[in-house]
Amino acid sequence: MPQKTTSLLVLALPSLRSDAMQSESARFTTRNESRFRVDYPNSTARSVKVIALDETGRRLVDQIALLPWARATFFTSLSHEQSPVPLRAESHAVRAWLNDIAGQTKSLIEEIETADVVVMIVGAGSTADAAPLIGEACQLRNVTAVGLVLQDEETTDEAIERTLRKMRQFVTMLVVASGGEYAEAMLTALRA
Amino acid sequence: MLRKEQNELLTQTGPGTPMGDMFRHYWIPALLANELPENECPPVRVKLLSERLLAFRDTEGRYGLIDEFCAHRGVSLWFGRNEEFGLRCPYHGWKYDVTGQCVDVPSEPAEGGFCKKIKLKSYPLVQIGDVLWTYMGKPEHQPPHPEWEFARVPSEQSFTSKRWQESNWLQAMEGGIDSSHVSFLHRGSLNTDPLFKGSKANQYNLNDTRPVFEVVEQPGGLYIGARRNAENGKYYWRITPWVMPSFTMVPPRGDHPIHGHFWIPIDDENCWAWSFDYHPVRALTPAERQAMANGQGIHVRYVPGSFRPLANKDNDYLMDRAAQRAGITYSGVEGIAMQDASLQESMGPIVDRTKENLVSTDNGIIMARHRLLKAARALREKGTVPPGVDPDHHRVRSAAVILAAEQTFKDAAKDDLIARPGVAQSSV
Repeated sequence: MPQKTTSLLVLALPSLRSDAMQSESARFTTRNESRFRVDYPNSTARSVKVIALDETGRRLVDQIALLPWARATFFTSLSHEQSPVPLRAESHAVRAWLNDIAGQTKSLIEEIETADVVVMIVGAGSTADAAPLIGEACQLRNVTAVGLVLQDEETTDEAIERTLRKMRQFVTMLVVASGGEYAEAMLTALRA
Repeated sequence: MLRKEQNELLTQTGPGTPMGDMFRHYWIPALLANELPENECPPVRVKLLSERLLAFRDTEGRYGLIDEFCAHRGVSLWFGRNEEFGLRCPYHGWKYDVTGQCVDVPSEPAEGGFCKKIKLKSYPLVQIGDVLWTYMGKPEHQPPHPEWEFARVPSEQSFTSKRWQESNWLQAMEGGIDSSHVSFLHRGSLNTDPLFKGSKANQYNLNDTRPVFEVVEQPGGLYIGARRNAENGKYYWRITPWVMPSFTMVPPRGDHPIHGHFWIPIDDENCWAWSFDYHPVRALTPAERQAMANGQGIHVRYVPGSFRPLANKDNDYLMDRAAQRAGITYSGVEGIAMQDASLQESMGPIVDRTKENLVSTDNGIIMARHRLLKAARALREKGTVPPGVDPDHHRVRSAAVILAAEQTFKDAAKDDLIARPGVAQSSV
């Protein structure tokens, strides 16, 4: 227990102006005072593009796309013109399309240009071949890219490593999650 | 963003609540051992998980943590007399042992055995390291004692303090897994605080304010890796372990002691911020110990005679705008702990998470909430023991390492993230 070595008079330490209203001070961070927090939307909906990179990702995207979202759009695969391997997306030179859940194709570049966040979903162990193309397109347009790697009980560390290594340089956030429900939690948290 | 009902579930820890049930599956820190320094010393009032309790140490040195109030007329037993193997209520002399069992009711004939029918709720209280730990759940679910390294190293290698934080536990804990705020909020302290300064890591922190994160699940919770640029194309990684429900460690710097926290609910609007420093292989130096006692590093100075920080909401945290302007402190508040606490308390006692706007770098926080919600529901619906109860989950460490660009921290730093007796921390 800290010792009482100082006069209690010192404790007041009145840095507050004596004429300050109490609600102008930190003292009024009470539950009651929380009622007066301005009740006005402090953000507008973000445009989130969710892209499956493999079959595991596609199954999950099909599932979560059915939930109500503000401005999230979901794509089950990427197709592109023949290109030298590996794909590098100084890729505005590469013509690539995203396939949405209704089976329509959309230009990758146009989708990314209208995105606030791009989320790539992939199963651990996948080679995530589309990640460089999407990731570089995001980097060129200053769009945040997130990678969500799904593991299950049988996933090996080696499989996770393989996918992380492939994706790391193209995303600003990588998450390895057990089970697909995290995708819903994350998109909800991001106000997708 | 969390829905209102999710926020309530995570932040309410009283008896009968899902998160309260979950906290009651763990050994949690209750008091510093030096709060009960000797046999028959004065009892101490303790509020934990919205329950008012009283801790005392009896004539034989046994610790007790019991319902604060006498079963007779509801008097606080804090006024009691700690004498002859029990605590006696000063009102009518009823006496209780460390298990809460009433052992004497002077007004009733001893032969009648009335006192055997009176028993206060009690919880076990054991000393491990500098801390008295309690388990507030059902006896049949009581796990083995905790194995946290900071509490298991010799006492000369460890220092623990606690402070009262006037906010819900969750917003305090979330600060502990939010590595990206370090480059801003604490930038003024990294090169001046005696328990932080002088490490190369600080330059990496200050030079690269846009870390890249990787969040990886581990059996007891999460590892949150923050990657910043180092030399020659390599990366500087700070890896923060979070063990459920509320244990976090700060990645180390140089040969400074490693530090970390427990965030323990007092009630839904207050929590104890437990702060520990330890070195795995050497005694703390007198200078380090003195700095900690002086409130430096992650510790605080107190209002004398209390665990309330000297800089608190009643004095606007001793805000110093000149220091803020000069860059001595980034927020104007002195000291790493109070820089965090002042902002977390400013959110209000329970922050309204329906109004927040998280970004992708907040995935550590998002994942922690997700795992807490999932574990609380699994416990309630299926009786699944939550992660972090198993003492194996306690044997973790934070780490700071330089890795080649192609290396994955979970693999390359695997050994660095395990508490290994006699092996120094991995630090930069």
